Amino acid sequence: MKLKKTRLSEEIPTSSMADIAFLLIIYFMITTSFAATRGLDFSLPKDDDSPPIVEKEDSVLIEIQPSGQLIVDSNPMEPEQILEYLHPKLKNNPKKPVIIKTMPSAPYGYMVEVFDLLRRAKDELKLKEDINISIPTQREIDSFWF
Amino acid sequence: MRLKTRHHARAIIPTASMADIAFLLIVFFMVTISFEKDRTQVTLPRTELRLEVPKIVAYVSVTKDGWIRVTDGEEMSTLIPKIDDVLTFAAGVVSTYPGRPIVLKGDRDVPYEKIDKIIDALKQAKVETIYLLSDQVRVDEEGGGG
Repeated sequence: MKLKKTRLSEEIPTSSMADIAFLLIIYFMITTSFAATRGLDFSLPKDDDSPPIVEKEDSVLIEIQPSGQLIVDSNPMEPEQILEYLHPKLKNNPKKPVIIKTMPSAPYGYMVEVFDLLRRAKDELKLKEDINISIPTQREIDSFWF
Repeated sequence: MRLKTRHHARAIIPTASMADIAFLLIVFFMVTISFEKDRTQVTLPRTELRLEVPKIVAYVSVTKDGWIRVTDGEEMSTLIPKIDDVLTFAAGVVSTYPGRPIVLKGDRDVPYEKIDKIIDALKQAKVETIYLLSDQVRVDEEGGGG
């Protein structure tokens, strides 16, 4: 009887490798999210037991109204006017605190926009250091302010 | 004259390089992936300055309707029933993971009153740094703050 010899292929079968790889890609594409994990950092006071005591006269007070209107040291102002107003004051005293006080019913977005404006002031006004921004909470205002 | 035997083209699509491409894509996804611990849908405030948030952070998310979700950065975020629970959560994060920043992911339309209470809780829990998560300001929105 004559035996039939089957010749084994010398190639490694790689055709399914692409399938596996693409399945992995699909998995990663579904689970990944190019998260918008960027924002503004804000350092909180280290010791809450000694809250910063800021005299009203020594600081600049920015009040944010529910409508988004800004009142800076009791004067209504447009956002673009704020830096112009702050410039001479910060030239004299770079450590002058700038207080952001947001009305409870004002949208949070307005506060972040003002905070962003103040954070960018260092570059825009060519200051040597960042503005000393303070965001007192309602509890702090009630307890320690005025 | 003897004609040369016709050479039949093999009906095979060369797929050997497909696996290479696929694996390159896998490597790309594996390097860039970051599993988000918080997937709360919010409309973030828009800012021009946006700093990179560290990879391992705790989250406090506030939706437009006032729902609050928290995560210490290890587990997926969970809903908390009361705003007062933020203090307990933040104190837990500070004691378990000292120095871990907390990201505040607030909807831009949420009344500031809620955010104020959360910031106050974070201050009381002695959190060192918070990040106010934001989106990139659009060109058509520029200068329209406040």
